[in-house]
Amino acid sequence: MSQEIAVVGSSEFTTGFRLAGVRRFENVPDDQKGEDLDDAVTTVLNDDGVGIVVMHDDDLEHLSRNVRQNVETSVEPVVVTIGSGTGGGGLRDQIKRAIGIDLMEEDEDDNEN
Amino acid sequence: MAKDVKPTRKNLMAIEDRIELSERGHGTLEKKRDGLIMEFMDILDKAQDVRGELSEDYDEAQKKINMARAMEGDVAVRGAAAALQEHPEITTESKNIMGVVVPQIESSRVSKDLGQRGYGIMGTSARIDEAAEAYEDLLESIILAAEVETAMKKMLREIETTKRRVNALEFKLLPELYEGQEYIEQSLEEQEREETFRLKKIKEKKEQEEKEEAEAEEAEEAEDLEGGQAPPVGSAAGGN
Repeated sequence: MSQEIAVVGSSEFTTGFRLAGVRRFENVPDDQKGEDLDDAVTTVLNDDGVGIVVMHDDDLEHLSRNVRQNVETSVEPVVVTIGSGTGGGGLRDQIKRAIGIDLMEEDEDDNEN
Repeated sequence: MAKDVKPTRKNLMAIEDRIELSERGHGTLEKKRDGLIMEFMDILDKAQDVRGELSEDYDEAQKKINMARAMEGDVAVRGAAAALQEHPEITTESKNIMGVVVPQIESSRVSKDLGQRGYGIMGTSARIDEAAEAYEDLLESIILAAEVETAMKKMLREIETTKRRVNALEFKLLPELYEGQEYIEQSLEEQEREETFRLKKIKEKKEQEEKEEAEAEEAEEAEDLEGGQAPPVGSAAGGN
């Protein structure tokens, strides 16, 4: 089954993706992210036609605890966050919990050096 | 748990079988966990490379779209974005890594040429084309990142489950089974000691009885003998 890519965020963030052809998008203005972002993300996560959800890293801060947890653990659709470059914040904790050591730590130190 | 089992040989054999099976399972699961971690390390390296590329592509795309906005105006960029006809689609196939089904994402219609974009050549400038191209590249990177990150999440889940199973066997089930085995063995030994002691007591009692019987017989015989040598006084007097 073919699926689509969805983008959630402010209109500045989504415009570029729409320029690349993405038609499934949820625009949430910056000043309403606290109230509306949870609903927008939940709608997209529950949509079977969506395979990948793209979000900005900073927007994760506006999500409520439960939705954020869903975003971090969701596999279908998978949520890819972009912005700060370190990748999914929850992934690091998950690695720490599963493997027992923080594998991403040394790489960050390398980058700093 | 240990006190719940009946200390019988049958239960001991059943527990020994369970211990053997659990130890074998524990070993296999440990190997599976180590294998998964090694596979995960490979994927992690790949994920970090992909993340790096994604970050670069995002910065580039941001730069390009900001430039387009500055030169053409936000309305023109939005207008072009709304005119897109071709939409990227993804299809997912699966691959099996040590029992973990990870997706392989195939994409179509992500990179398009000018004619396919649908916003026309006349009304827009090259800046918008560049921005669109940069975002198409970014989408390619995102699709790759999605594939790798889904694989990572699934592998992590499997590693966590396997680790939990290994720990449950190592720290809960096996110690309980060992405790049960020890309890039954000790109980059986105790029963055996009691049995030996009982037999010993019975033997002693029997010997004692036999001894007493023999003594009684001896005493009787002695009495009989004494009776035969000296006949009763009454009968001798009666004869005279």
